[in-house]
Amino acid sequence: MNYFDAQTWIGGWPFSFQPAHRAATLARALRGEGIGRALVSPLDAVFAPEPTPANRALLRSCRTLRNLLPVPVINPALANWREQLAVVARDRSVRAIRILPNYHNYALTSSEVEAFVSEIQGRSLRLVISMRLIDERHEYFAMRLTGVPTGQLDRFLERHPDMPVLASGLYRTDLLSLLPRHPNLLADLSFAEWFDIVDQLVRRLGARQLAFASHTPFLITAAALAKLGQVGIGATDLTSIAHRNLERFLKT
Amino acid sequence: MKEDGRGRAEAAELIAEAARFGIEHLVALGDVLVYGRRPAAEQVREINDDTAWLVQTFPGKVSGFCYLNPVLGEREVWREVERCLGWGARGIKLEIANNARDRCMQPVMAAAQAHGLVVLQHAWSMTQIRQRSYHTDPEDAALLAGRHPEVRIVMAHLTGCGIRGILAAKPHPNLFVDTSGAAPEAGILERAVDELGPERILYGSDVPVRDFRVAIARVTGSSLDAETRRRILFENARRLLKLP
Repeated sequence: MNYFDAQTWIGGWPFSFQPAHRAATLARALRGEGIGRALVSPLDAVFAPEPTPANRALLRSCRTLRNLLPVPVINPALANWREQLAVVARDRSVRAIRILPNYHNYALTSSEVEAFVSEIQGRSLRLVISMRLIDERHEYFAMRLTGVPTGQLDRFLERHPDMPVLASGLYRTDLLSLLPRHPNLLADLSFAEWFDIVDQLVRRLGARQLAFASHTPFLITAAALAKLGQVGIGATDLTSIAHRNLERFLKT
Repeated sequence: MKEDGRGRAEAAELIAEAARFGIEHLVALGDVLVYGRRPAAEQVREINDDTAWLVQTFPGKVSGFCYLNPVLGEREVWREVERCLGWGARGIKLEIANNARDRCMQPVMAAAQAHGLVVLQHAWSMTQIRQRSYHTDPEDAALLAGRHPEVRIVMAHLTGCGIRGILAAKPHPNLFVDTSGAAPEAGILERAVDELGPERILYGSDVPVRDFRVAIARVTGSSLDAETRRRILFENARRLLKLP
């Protein structure tokens, strides 16, 4: 099976003992698990005062690694977001931009996001929204973070019904409520954890809006792959989830 | 494994399905939240009757734990434990009726010690969840293990207990931990083996809340060596439950 991973990261996370990958080690680890291609974003952009240095490092380190597609992080709540975007958009390998509303302290429904969305659409870039990076119950004790409220994503998608959006880290109940309402939404499976989850989701929602994602190195890569193992769905649906839906999303 | 709102037939299907993933033996804990967090005595009996049915329907394949609501008091606890021993319960399952620190745990632990039963205590880090009055934090489970060193206790949900939970468990050789809990976070299991050794960690799926495939891959997808994985997936539970 050809796997195209919708969510991976390079860099360290200060609150866990997960591996801190460089681009080269991530590429090797994913290949070792049988994952052919992956979207990758920089963890250094999460807590940095401004994401451009992390984005530059990402672009530099992915240049020679054909299986990693860099997805820079932009913070639209900072005054220089147009400059942040201009820097990464110059790189022809960039097809999508990731935003982290809960870590960067803005609402998906804010006016800054509207201006940003209009700009990335003008540049034919895709939007990836991280709803959460970890289970909120396991956040560092001094952090008072919750996931991006599902209602905000719902309202955002209502305002942009024709814009393809990839959401990372939705829970199962969010997938069940949002996907039928928003055909333009593609959701990764990184936080979809339930019994027979892929069979259940495909039975209720179809396969067209679901994308494989390992969320390496936060989560165990093999566990994400295992979700798609020995499932009772057809080969076409399995292929769609494993790579085709993400390929379609990235086509502009 | 919990039955989680499923009927007997569905639970039986689940057990049959486990074989597809190479699971030889399962521990059935009961549909422990079907009547809320503090079920009445007759509701506890009903939950345990379903577990007994599974044990009797799948002999040699399923071990059952006797679910208890410790808040019901000493008489009810002892009565239910002795009733469950009649169908061969191998352990006691505790959920969120109370915190493991509470006084009402005393008869539960006395019964466990008297009959050599393993106690499986639900636990989760309460740092970000304000429910500690009835929801056991790993430090509460560690306190329980320290108070009752003769009773073998399993602290559920390694991922939920986190590194702080592993460290709390470390001084108590009678305290084990299972590998289940939410999304399969990387790096925790390896750290647990470093701190606790490979003997005190048990594979747990939390099915049907979670999935067999992902639960197994938490162990097989770790960087642990083959022998350690084998212990976690099979040998440690076999020894703890004194299975053949």
